[in-house]
Amino acid sequence: MTELDLSLRGQAAAIAAGEIDPAALLDAALARIEERNPTINAVVETFPDRSREMLAAAPEGPLRGVPVVIKDEWPLPWRAQRFGAAEMFAHTEPAESGPYRALRDAGAVIVGVGNMHELGASSTGNTSVYGAARNPWDTERCPGGSSSGPAAAVAARLVAGAVGADGLGSIRFPAAYCGLTGLKPTFGRSALDGHHAAAVTETIVSGPLCADAADCRLFGSALFGESLEGGDASGLRIGVVRDTVSEDVAPEVGDACEAAIEALRAETGGEVKEVELADLAPATMSGVLIINAEMLNGITPAQLNDVDPELSPVNRGFVKYRMLLPVAAVAQAKRMRALMRRRLAALFEQVDVLAWPTVPAVAPPLEAPLVELPSGTLTADQANVRGGALANLTGIPGISTPVGFSSDGLPIGLQLQAEWGRDELLLDAAEALERANGRRWVELLSPLAAEGEPTEA
Amino acid sequence: MEASNRADEFVPAGMASLGIEADEIEAAVMSAAHQMFWPGIRELISTDLSDVAPERNPDLSKPPES
Repeated sequence: MTELDLSLRGQAAAIAAGEIDPAALLDAALARIEERNPTINAVVETFPDRSREMLAAAPEGPLRGVPVVIKDEWPLPWRAQRFGAAEMFAHTEPAESGPYRALRDAGAVIVGVGNMHELGASSTGNTSVYGAARNPWDTERCPGGSSSGPAAAVAARLVAGAVGADGLGSIRFPAAYCGLTGLKPTFGRSALDGHHAAAVTETIVSGPLCADAADCRLFGSALFGESLEGGDASGLRIGVVRDTVSEDVAPEVGDACEAAIEALRAETGGEVKEVELADLAPATMSGVLIINAEMLNGITPAQLNDVDPELSPVNRGFVKYRMLLPVAAVAQAKRMRALMRRRLAALFEQVDVLAWPTVPAVAPPLEAPLVELPSGTLTADQANVRGGALANLTGIPGISTPVGFSSDGLPIGLQLQAEWGRDELLLDAAEALERANGRRWVELLSPLAAEGEPTEA
Repeated sequence: MEASNRADEFVPAGMASLGIEADEIEAAVMSAAHQMFWPGIRELISTDLSDVAPERNPDLSKPPES
């Protein structure tokens, strides 16, 4: 246990109190990345001189001197993003992105760039131009995607906080797979500038991945540019939807989430209500269609015929298939979005949060990311998107919080979603759930973080 | 006429019409993607949403205007 193993808020407080030398903390983070990262490939680049320059210039902000990781989805002033890919079909160059500015202005020190699934195109994290990131709980398992590196970096305690991006669940999925808390903010509340799709996206947001809700609150405040004040989740009205998102899940996941929902109800003195939310399947497809249309980003057939051969075969084929998505379906998707937004607005008059498993099964093997569900065998992407897409389609916030472990020692996550702008309530609810569980799920360390030694790959 | 879901017809025809080339592996990926996506696309397109008023320039950070 070192100062680097303190929580994000613990590191920030200790630095502010003069109990930790932030230069020593930065050196410790760089040393730990060198030591542990080869096992998990979470961090794809460090830049010690740039990090030391950030520290030297760090203002007296809430994260002053705290080392953090940022996903390979935004440029830095000294590095263009690669989007985890040999070719990302967009112009990129080094720049001050919104998340970079937010972190810099909060006093944080960017110590490295986090790996990600190639082109952000999967919930698994098993494909990247840098090689796959690995899950610190089991290095043969997927860390989740697309924010694979940020999640793995925090779960291995290389850093205490990392910036991810979420367009269909890409913060919440790796949070669930890696036993972390991950917040997908309300659309537009967190810094996004500098993202190559910032001008067109109606789905993608930046957000924090941390060990627990209090750290997400502090990190999220930096990304939001406003303090996410703690509140009171007393009397929480928890909505449960009896649909594939809660029913077609692995039994261990379903049981852990049911128990967590009941624990949250008891802790808050609230109530659980079964609610109707029809058309989740076409709503999911709507989210998929809208983000894939956004990602077309002006690509021409000529560009596709000259695609970089280093791009994975799956994505070479998939970016070409995107060109065939019918505009009639995209138009219908936007009408479906209007319908779901109205239904959710009505629903959030009855309940404060919706709760269902973040992902229906624990992290699958990297080599074969398939999951066994009551309905049969599905690819992890097919299964995961069903629970993730609604928040991105409609703009509402969502959070994944750890609620247990499978019999083979892999984390299970519960997702809570709330009305637009009620990100703070999600953090309050996640903190209540942590209290209800005696914080045991958020304080457990992955084998890599606990032993400080590489696990066998 | 019965709707077709056949990737071996749709994908090559679509690629050819756009002048997009694909090697064998890419074609297999596109076929798999089509098998995965098309049933959901068909379901979405077939859903009667004619009485759903579209949102004009929706602000996705807020609830819909009533």
